[in-house]
Amino acid sequence: MAARETGRKKAARKKAAGKKAAGKKAAGRKTAAKKSAARGTAVRKAGARKGLRRKSGGGGEGPRRPGPLTWFVRVLVVAAFGFGVWTSSWLISLDRIVVGRFEGQRFVVPSRVYSAPGILYPGLDAELIDLRGTLARAGYREQTSTTGRALHPGLFRWSGNRLRVYLRAFDHPTRPEPARDIVIRFEGNTIAEIRELPRSREVGAVLLEPELVGAYFGNDREQRELVEIDRVPQHLVDAVLAVEDRRFVTHHGVDPTRILGAVVANLRAGGVTQGGSTLTQQLVKNFFLTPERTLRRKATEAVMALIVEARYSKREILQSYLNEIYLGRRGSTSVHGVGEAARYYFGKSVSELVPAESALLAAIIQSPNRLSPHRNPEQARERRDLVLELMRRQNRLDLAAFNHARATALDVAAPISDAGEARYFLDFLRRQLPEAYDRELLQTEGLHIYSTLDSRLQRAAMRALRGGLESIETNNPQLIAEDSNARLQGCLIAMRPQTGEIVALVGGRSYGTSQFDRCTQARRAAGSVFKPFIYLAALEAQGGAPTATMASFLDDSPLEIETRDGLWTPQNYDHEFRGRVALRTAIERSLNVPSVRLALDVGIDRVADMARRMGVKSRLPQVPSLALGTAEVSPLEIARAYSTLASGGIRPTPHTFEDVTAGDRTLEQRQLELEQALDPGLAYLGVSLLEGVVERGTAQRLRWMGLQGAIAGKTGTTDDERDLWFVGFTPELVAVVWLGFDEPRSIAGVSSSTGPLPIWASFMQEAVGNQMRGMFIPPRGIERFDIDPESGALALSGCPERKSEVFLSGTTPQEICDGKGLRAYAGSDREERIRRARERQQKKRRRESAPGLFGWIRDLL
Amino acid sequence: MPFVYRSSAIVLFACLFGVSACTHLGGREPEMQPLRLSQLAAEGDAARRASLRLVVEGLDADVARDSGRAQSRYQRALVVDATNPYAYLAISRQHVEAHDFERALQFLDRAEALLRMQGELADEVAVHLDGLRGGALYDAGDVEASAPLLDRARSLAPSVWGDGELQADELR
Repeated sequence: MAARETGRKKAARKKAAGKKAAGKKAAGRKTAAKKSAARGTAVRKAGARKGLRRKSGGGGEGPRRPGPLTWFVRVLVVAAFGFGVWTSSWLISLDRIVVGRFEGQRFVVPSRVYSAPGILYPGLDAELIDLRGTLARAGYREQTSTTGRALHPGLFRWSGNRLRVYLRAFDHPTRPEPARDIVIRFEGNTIAEIRELPRSREVGAVLLEPELVGAYFGNDREQRELVEIDRVPQHLVDAVLAVEDRRFVTHHGVDPTRILGAVVANLRAGGVTQGGSTLTQQLVKNFFLTPERTLRRKATEAVMALIVEARYSKREILQSYLNEIYLGRRGSTSVHGVGEAARYYFGKSVSELVPAESALLAAIIQSPNRLSPHRNPEQARERRDLVLELMRRQNRLDLAAFNHARATALDVAAPISDAGEARYFLDFLRRQLPEAYDRELLQTEGLHIYSTLDSRLQRAAMRALRGGLESIETNNPQLIAEDSNARLQGCLIAMRPQTGEIVALVGGRSYGTSQFDRCTQARRAAGSVFKPFIYLAALEAQGGAPTATMASFLDDSPLEIETRDGLWTPQNYDHEFRGRVALRTAIERSLNVPSVRLALDVGIDRVADMARRMGVKSRLPQVPSLALGTAEVSPLEIARAYSTLASGGIRPTPHTFEDVTAGDRTLEQRQLELEQALDPGLAYLGVSLLEGVVERGTAQRLRWMGLQGAIAGKTGTTDDERDLWFVGFTPELVAVVWLGFDEPRSIAGVSSSTGPLPIWASFMQEAVGNQMRGMFIPPRGIERFDIDPESGALALSGCPERKSEVFLSGTTPQEICDGKGLRAYAGSDREERIRRARERQQKKRRRESAPGLFGWIRDLL
Repeated sequence: MPFVYRSSAIVLFACLFGVSACTHLGGREPEMQPLRLSQLAAEGDAARRASLRLVVEGLDADVARDSGRAQSRYQRALVVDATNPYAYLAISRQHVEAHDFERALQFLDRAEALLRMQGELADEVAVHLDGLRGGALYDAGDVEASAPLLDRARSLAPSVWGDGELQADELR
């Protein structure tokens, strides 16, 4: 068929070319005729002259005057000629328009962004991951008694504690997934087992297809999924033709019978009740014309329809129509084409439609909003049944299929609108794409971008941030700004530390009000979240002994520093001085003065260097106040830097997409990069310090809020209380929350532990629950010893007090506490004594953690 | 002790002695069985088990020369459990196979660090680390460093590392 059509097209082109050639020949002939006429005139004139000479002696004839009829004929010829020229130029211009559209880019298809695929596996809490919501959002429909017995892709069915889902296939150039019929068995809310039918094979994990999280629209905000005519089921074509244009295959763009019928029907009804347009005319109207009802427009439409039919095959016209036709609204966007409509209304691809669904799509073409199956299911069903009736009458559907389709309920997927949850993320993704992917390309080329976004975490982040900000304003009415553009703002970014995948990003409280992304575009004073860089720089041994160890003490006494701007006297948050404080205490309580002293001891340049190695790219002025986070950085940079700690010193590259595809080609693919920026042991010391902040320090509130397991974090408040931060991480997730005003002013009354910290906690509770998975495991090169908390000396037997502490190998304390007074111990048997002490301590720990006789028997069994 | 029991005990001891002597006199250590990830499928918590299953599926895809799908499976395995050292090991193997030595070494370092942290660096895994590192270093042109590593892997597990390569199905 296609070959035949192509043949026809070629023939048409040849014909057109032949016509052109004939036109040229004709033009050539005309020129020749003109020349010959000119020659004739010259001959006649010469002859006349000769004649004059010959008849110069005789009487001459006067010129004949043309009669009125001749004048009329002349005017008529001129008018006809003018009309012909005008008509030709009009037809040529229309033809150009038609060809321009058909041969060029017929459709503008916005590029779509998909989330990372969801993963189901035994042991997951289905409620926590919102399995029901996930299925609904992906357009899966529950099979009920009225929707048939067979389970098709896109359907699910509950029976007791089992959920059977027919997962849809996922098209992707390099990692496609087949459709899978799976049964999930639950124990309570937990997935106990997943089996794949038909062989009931147990599977360890299944991937759900990625969710659509957004698209890059042009001004028209049209959503469209292009389909090839070969993929469109015949029953859909039949349904459309039955109701919209039954003589489509026989007419030439305009159907006089239909027009006549419409005229009669409208005359009878006394108004316009029926249209006479063919599919081709409808396509022409949608492609090229305005919806105005004038004779001129109708004439143009008819002529263009004839041109389209003359130039293109019926299949091409039908394919264009099926991709162009408007079929409803999804939120603020319009649904165009049967491909998009099949996804929207039935959660499946167009090739998977059944006759009843095809009839429904054809039914709503007339008035997609009035006949929307979501809003007016009764009317939609009536119209669908009418379409089925027409299909039956026109012998396009056999009786059995007709009866089955009529008996089928309207089973449409729940309406999903783009809630704009991921708009900040989409903007950031666009900025992360290579430059070639400009706005216009993304709005027109229909690319598929597979992102790293976790839709569930994104929703959790949005709820946590908005809820948190509202709660702060409720408790602190003085912070409420009258101008909606000047309200307290915030942002939340979450990243997988091992891979750098950004899984959630909310850049402000409302994208509608402000599109400025405070997580990736804003630079704000880091405050105390900068302090870990000082401690890490101090703990790092760079070719010698480190400036400090975990057993070190710092001086918390008044400090004055000469700066270019005058004398600077840093203060602690409570304006108190504690004298000698342990290094751990200083960071756990976020003490400013000892931190500044330590930074000066280490060297501000080394502190800045540490921040840069961990992922901070912003300018870091090398002044003493850098220690207190006066440098302006973005929350994204802070997330990256803390990820370096959480991942054992590997600095991740934050990224938002995995790959970009166009049809069956992969245009971009992201490779996972691992850069060891810090020694794993040093990173572990940092983690250990920040675990202390959560256990005993300024982030202790997290524990009060019920969060359990491995969590490390740091609060941050700038001196002027204009920026509030909380950075928290588990072995699997790093999240940063920042709060502040866009025009910086004090957020008096709110601290980092009452502002951003509860937002972080709320996000994590929804994202992973109260129990964090995994633990921070000390790497090779870390040693654990008991030390005397008073002196920091190694605690041997006899030392009255002791606490466990971690050290990098070779940085253990030089002094010992053994009950005989504190003394430096650097004698020849020092190493031996330390070794024995370590063995004793390890034995003790093993004893403490040993399961006992009962545990031994249990293990044996 | 009745005669029958005494005789049986003597025969048993004799057999045991004989077997152990034969093994010893044979002069060759039995070949180590290097790790296969499918052996670990039931270990760890739910996330680790699921992650391991995804890694095994990835190796299956690698066996079928479907590297795109394999890569996707390894990435998903890391999403489920970012601290699964075997996912990094499988990715490293893929990079060694593709002669992308820089990435191979990065992932190998990460796998090794995680295995050490998690106390799972047994000889059965170490042989793969040695072999893969040897392969990557060879590609990097550091033959001096690669030779002893590959030799060690070959001598410990000749059935797997005899050809100096680790096929996906040998790690599966």
